[in-house]
Parts: sequence; C-alpha cells; structure tokens
Amino acid sequence: YRDLHTFELQAPTRLIEWARGSRVCVAGYGQSDGNEILQLIPPPTLLTKETQGLCPERDFKVECGGFSERPVYSLKYVPDTSLLVTSGPPDSSLQVWQVSAEDSDVIKSVSPITTENGTGQSWAKIATISTRAPWVLHGSRLDRVQITEVESRKNVYTAASGGSEELRGLAFLDCNTLLLCCVTGRLCLADIRQPQSLVETVSVPLAPCSEQWCMGTRHGAQLSSQPVARLSSRGLLTLTDLRKTSEFLALAKARVPSPGSGAEFLCISWAPALEGCLAISGFDGTVHVYDTQSWDSSGREAEPIFVHKGHAFGGAGGSGDTPLVTVHTWHLQKPRTLLSAASDGSLHVWDWVQPCGK
Amino acid sequence: MPEIKVTPLGAGQDVGRSCILVSIAGKNVMLDCGMHMGYNDDRRFPDFSYITQNGRLTDFLDCVIISHFHLDHCGALPYFSEMVGYDGPIYMTHPTKAICPILLEDYRKITVDKKGETNFFTSQMIKDCMKKMVAVHLHQTVQVDEELEIKAYYAGHVLGAAMFQIKVGCESVVYTGDYNMTPDRHLGAAWIDKCRPDLLITESTYATTIRDSKRCRERDFLKKVHETVERGGKVLIPVFALGRAQELCILLETFWERMNLKAPIYFSTGLTEKANHYYKLFITWTNQKIRKTFVQRNMFEFKHIKAFDRAFADNPGPMVVFATPGMLHAGQSLQIFRKWAGNEKNMVIMPGYCVQGTVGHKILSGQRKLEMEGRQILEVKMQVEYMSFSAHADAKGIMQLIRQAEPRNVLLVHGEAKKMEFLKQKIEQEFHVSCYMPANGETTTILTNPCIPVDISLGLLKRETAIGPLPDAKKPKLMHGTLLMKDNSFRLVSPEQALKELGLAEHQLRFTCRVHIQDPRKEHETVLRVYNHLKGILKDYSVQHLPDGSITVESILIQATAHSEDQGTKVLLVSWTYQDEELGSYLTSLLKKGLPQST
Repeated sequence: YRDLHTFELQAPTRLIEWARGSRVCVAGYGQSDGNEILQLIPPPTLLTKETQGLCPERDFKVECGGFSERPVYSLKYVPDTSLLVTSGPPDSSLQVWQVSAEDSDVIKSVSPITTENGTGQSWAKIATISTRAPWVLHGSRLDRVQITEVESRKNVYTAASGGSEELRGLAFLDCNTLLLCCVTGRLCLADIRQPQSLVETVSVPLAPCSEQWCMGTRHGAQLSSQPVARLSSRGLLTLTDLRKTSEFLALAKARVPSPGSGAEFLCISWAPALEGCLAISGFDGTVHVYDTQSWDSSGREAEPIFVHKGHAFGGAGGSGDTPLVTVHTWHLQKPRTLLSAASDGSLHVWDWVQPCGK
Repeated sequence: MPEIKVTPLGAGQDVGRSCILVSIAGKNVMLDCGMHMGYNDDRRFPDFSYITQNGRLTDFLDCVIISHFHLDHCGALPYFSEMVGYDGPIYMTHPTKAICPILLEDYRKITVDKKGETNFFTSQMIKDCMKKMVAVHLHQTVQVDEELEIKAYYAGHVLGAAMFQIKVGCESVVYTGDYNMTPDRHLGAAWIDKCRPDLLITESTYATTIRDSKRCRERDFLKKVHETVERGGKVLIPVFALGRAQELCILLETFWERMNLKAPIYFSTGLTEKANHYYKLFITWTNQKIRKTFVQRNMFEFKHIKAFDRAFADNPGPMVVFATPGMLHAGQSLQIFRKWAGNEKNMVIMPGYCVQGTVGHKILSGQRKLEMEGRQILEVKMQVEYMSFSAHADAKGIMQLIRQAEPRNVLLVHGEAKKMEFLKQKIEQEFHVSCYMPANGETTTILTNPCIPVDISLGLLKRETAIGPLPDAKKPKLMHGTLLMKDNSFRLVSPEQALKELGLAEHQLRFTCRVHIQDPRKEHETVLRVYNHLKGILKDYSVQHLPDGSITVESILIQATAHSEDQGTKVLLVSWTYQDEELGSYLTSLLKKGLPQST
C-alpha cells in the first residue's frame, strides 16, 4: 500500500457515489426505518492529487444527511441539478431528494416517482443523465424499463419488452443508447429513438442456472467504444466490445471462494484513470484489482495485480463473521485510489503500489 | 409549568470558549468559564454583563462548575472571579483543581510577559481564584446548598475531565463538557448511568465528523517519526504539558520497544515532570490497562524517554524531543525549533490546534520565513507536519451517550447552526426527545414535569379505607383530606388534624333533603318500613331505629313526618354532614326510588 485509511460508518452502506465537488455519498440499507443518506466531504488528502502523509484534517465530514424510510440500495445523483434519486425494497418506485448544502445540512425528501408495481418486482436499478434534460432510467425487470424526466415526472421512453428477467444494472452509453444487464448475464442494447427494438448481445458462457451476473461500464464519453465487463457469482469475467457483440473480447476466471456468499453485493468497475484495469468485489472481505490487458479468450484463471484485504482484518470485536465487501469504487482522478465499504460499516480508502516487473 | 433556562454565553453556536448559564428551579449555575484563544481583546472572555446588569454575581449565582482544565473551558476563571467579581464556590474534580492553576499561570505569562498585554489577570488573582475552588470526587453527590446538589461523572478526554449532573429536587440537568466515548491508551471512555435528566447539554463539534481509525493515524505518525530518525534527522513535537503528550509518549515508547530503536527520546523538563507526577498522583483517573500494569511497571516511567537538557539540542544524530509549550509561542519548544528549523532532515509535528499569531499557527499555514525578535528572519527548511490526536465524541459517540443517560431533552452547543440540523433531526427521530441549539446570548426554555411527593397521614388513610365497600368498590374512591404545605414539605392530613395544627375552628355543614313517599299508613309504620328496607340493603352499614322514631345510617339521620296537606304522602327528612356527602346522596336517591311493596 501507498496509503490506507480506515473509517467506520455508523451503519454499513452498499453504495458509494461520487458527487459534484468531490463529495462522496453513502446510505444505509438496514431493514428498519431510519436509514441515513450521508453526503460526505472527503479529507483533503483525498481531494488533492498528491498524497500527503499527515494532514490537518484526516476525517470525512458529513456535509448533509437525509432520512429514508426504506433501505437504500441504489443512489444516483441527477447531473446539473441539486437532486438525487434512490431506490430500494419493497417496490420499484424511486425516491427523489433535494440537496441544498449551503442552506441546511438536511437532504429533503421530494415526492417519489411511482411505478406500477406488478407481482414479484424487486427494487429498481437506476442510471441518470442530463444531456437533454434531467432523466432517470429505471426498472427492476427487463420488461419494465423506462426513462422518466425527473422534474416533470413525465415518461419519456418505455423499452420494448425483451423478457421478464430481473435486471442487475443499467447505464446510458450516450444520450440515445441504453445498456441493460440482467442477472442472467444477458446484455441488451436499446436505442431510445427506436422504442420497439432491443438488440441483444452475445450471451454468457453456459453456466449453472444459479449463477448471477453484474456489469461494469466505464465512466466518461465514448462509452460505446469501451468494452463492457461482466462478472458472475462464480468468478467468471467476460469483456465484450459492444460493436462486435458476437464474440468475447476476453474471458477469464477470478480466484474466488466457491460457491460464494451469494450475488447480492457483486461489484465490478473499470478504473477511470488506468488503462485496462478493473476491480471486483462481493465474494468475501477482499477487493481484487486486475489488469485485463494480458487477458485472452481462453477463460484461464487470472492473477490479480493487487488484493485489498483490509476489511477482513478490520474486524471490530472479532466476532465470527468476516465482513463482506458490499461495494467499491475508484477515485475519479487519483489513478490507484479506491474506496470500499463492507457489511460491518467499515469504509476504506486505499492507494496501492503497482508491483514492478509484471 | 416549571422550566429550565439555558443561556450560552460562549459556545452557543461557535467553537472557542464555553460558558453556559443554567437556571433550574430557582438556582443559577454557570457551567465552565472558558477563554477564546483566537482573540486578543475582550472578545476572548464571555460576556458576563448579560447575566445581571446590576447586582453582584455572587448573589445571583449559586455555584460555578468547571468540567476540565483546557483553557477554552476555564481560561476566563480568574478574570471572572477576581476582575468581574464572584466569591461563591467553584467546583471541579481534583486533577482539574491541581492542574488548572498551572495552565492559567503559564498562559498569563505568555500573554502578559511576552505579548505585553495589560488588561489581564495577575498571578495573585490566580491564587485568589484557587481559594474559591472546591474539589469533588467522581460519583460523589455534593450538596451545594439545601436544595442544589451536583455529581461528577468520568468523561475521558483529558485527565480529570468530568461530566456534571446538577439536581434540584427532581429536576436535573447533565452537562457533558468535552468527552470521549472511546478509550485511548491512557484514558478510559466516558460513562454515565441512566439518570434520566430533564436536559442533557452536549457538545457537538465533532458530530459531523467520521474519524479515520486511530490505528491509521498512529501508524502514519510513527511512520513519519521513524523515517526522519532513520535518515538522521531530529523530530520536535511541541506539546502542552498535559493531555495528548502522555498518549504520544506511550505510543512512541511501545513502538521503540517493538522496533528496538536506539535513537533517544526526550521529554522537556519543568512543567512536564510535574505532569507525569500528576498522572501518577491521579492514577485512578487513567484507564484500566494503565492501572493494572501500574503495579508491575509504571506506564509513565518510560524506559526510552529521558529528561531533556537544553544542551542536548546541539547533539548530533537523530532524536525525538517533546517540548512545551504546544504552539511554539515561547519557551523551550521555540528555542529548539529555532535551532533545528534550518535543516531539511528535521521535522516538527504539531499535535494540536494553534492560536493565530503563534509560530505554530504560522508554519501550519505554510509560512516558511518567520520574523523573530530583533528582526531576525528564520528560514524554515524542516518538514512541518500536523497530527491531531484530540479526543472528542463523534456522532456515534453522542448517540451512545444519549442512549446511556436517557434525557428528556437535548441541547447542543459548540457547533455551527447550519451544520447541526441533521444531528438535531437524528436525535429527535431516534430518541423522540426535543433537541435545541441556541446561539450565544439566546435563552432556551425547557418545560419540565416534576413529580412532587406528598406524605399522607396514616390516620387519614386508615379512616378512609374503613368505610364499607358500597357504594361501588370498582370506582376510585374519593377521599377528603387537607393538603398542608409548610417548610418545603407537603402533607395530606385529615381536616381535623389540619384545623388543630392551624388553630382554626371547625364549621359544620349539614344538608337536609326531603323525599316524598306515598304511604297512607301512620308515620311510625312508614319509618318501620324504611328501616327494614334500608337494613336489608345496607348490610354492611350500621342502620339503627332509634326510640324517638328516627333512623340513623351511620351518621345520617332520617325522620319521617306526614305531609301537611296530603295524609297519604309521607315526607322523609334525610340529613347528613358534609363528610357523609356520598352516602347521603346515595341514600337519597335510593329512597326516591320508593319502598318495596311488602314490608
């Protein structure tokens, strides 16, 4: 490590979102009411590019917070507005919030975006964009995907039904193209200018039905030219170029404990400032970093270039269960800095050293 | 409704100096009397004129309580007691009483001698102020006067810091001062019992902070020290004599031991020897671990840390020196700093807040050329680092304390208004109590609901329960008594006893009611009918037929006469005293229903 900071949140989070001004947002997902959404100002060490050892302020500061009646499973800021959108069980409706940090430190709840709740619907996955207007793309199942304009609550687009599988994630590739990922691993592309069609990409390697998948897309422009990474609950990793969907760009296997503790917290993400690097987590108390540039389509086991084990050792009180990493994210500017959170409420910020000679 | 009034004179909504005025059940208490370290003029002292425009403070205040020896909590004390004028008691814990004067004198010396200020308290004033200080033990209930009592609880934070409970009758306020809910190397964590005060006054400076773990902080600190020492440099750590210095000493000592390091560590003499002396003296105030190991090995007797001699500063080679004072504003630490500043291999680690104007503050702000006395310019090439080890409660800690004490209301001090709204809501939602955040000079009024105990005389109790179960055993029984309030005691006694005690004559009230009954027979036959009827119903009462033709039910008298105009109607006169109102009314309504046919 070059640097490692450990923090303890009052309640564990399963999301870490970046906001304007280098703010970080976390939220509680406990069953009972009274979950907090916290917008944090990271310590100056994390804001500057240069790492300083000792700094006057080493702590996160809660800039503002809100109270949510339901567990918060997903949160996205709506760009160019002071709003953010959250979702969580028991249904697929979205909660909208107003952040006005200068006036008060309370994140206020604004009326929700309701959706028709059919049977067997879980919580909605969300993505936001503000190119044409502030939009939120949301849905819990493949046949319930829609885009709602945040301020007017008007429905702007409804996707054609491609099946009723549960969604794992969705993303705007650009202001017209959507990428949808199902828990089965199936990826679908949609063009909002053509609401009737859904284009499917190549499926995943045959696998036992219980395997679940998640995807990771790169931040920034030109998303359609970047490969999409998928991770399965068995540790399979696939890279797909969306322009050539008939084949895999690369296929690899991560060394993960089998059969794993479920797929709820599976997380995969590309490094914004390091070419070809991605990180995965959700199997245990570790976060793995891989360099995909050496991968091919053979499906061999890949060696991580770094493994963060901090959460497994953090262990307040040394009780039986090792914490499970619930989410991780990359720092947007500092190339090797990541933030990761675990089920015991810990929040780590770490900066790893590139091992030489690899 | 009775109320508790709180007015912050400093630390309402700002950090700097703490001074809070509390009015509870007619008593006035001042909590802390701190000085703002950032101002050089009168703004550094709280505004005491607010308390009472005219009239002496001694008459107005029942006592002053000081939570701990940090200057932002006790720095204005000599000014307050000697220059403004207060002669009442000033309560604090033993360590605070021992250490406070030392810090006050130290600060006075710097301000007056070094900075040449004139409107400041003198050494004699500090001594006079000390005479008014009364030391208390933890968990000891101290009677300030007949009605006001106070009790100190362990607060962690620094040696001798305490949280105070102020109680008058059954109303109470708990003031936390600065506290810490997590133990560290030399102090334990704050603790309070479920005392359920009407109001809890707590600081909220760090409520919005999510601190990084102590381990990381310590690891980085040790790393920096180690790196400097390894390359042959010298590390200067300016410290206040008491407080974090001991924590850092223990930390370095254990590290040196573990890594088998040879470079010398020094602790500058004078104030600091006394400091270690105080820690040994007040060993019960330190944490469990230290007390346990104290038997085998005195944690404050360090193997690797030696006393410093001025000459050592010129020794070649690496070393670490702890020197006072903490802000590099004078004395030994400044001297050493001047010697070492020019060498980039050296390092200075500032361990705490530095007041504006001090060298410490300047170098932390990035200044690298300092003007010293005699217009000499000092170029600072040594590395400047800052490491804060201060121990305050964060949001989690505050919630923990509230959970422990279970107050009915919470008041937040020491935070910025805009930044406390979230915490306020958090507290209100989780504990369903009201949360207040007054600004300086603003008075908050909190309504309380006290219970007033009343003694009931045994005679009265016995008498009232002696009367039979009728009319209705299920309804709450109405009792007649007199409430006597005398000399702060409340008693419920029978009216006779009250009259006797008060020397008043008793007046009797008697009610008479007429009940018409249709009965053509003679009066004495009607009376007999009534008598039999009542005897049959009121089995538990004493019903008597007297020779003169009247009936008595307990003390109620019933007589029958014929109606003047209608011989077929008999008039029953039912008469009772005020005390028998209930039975009287009952009888009347019973008789009004009429007599049964067969009797």
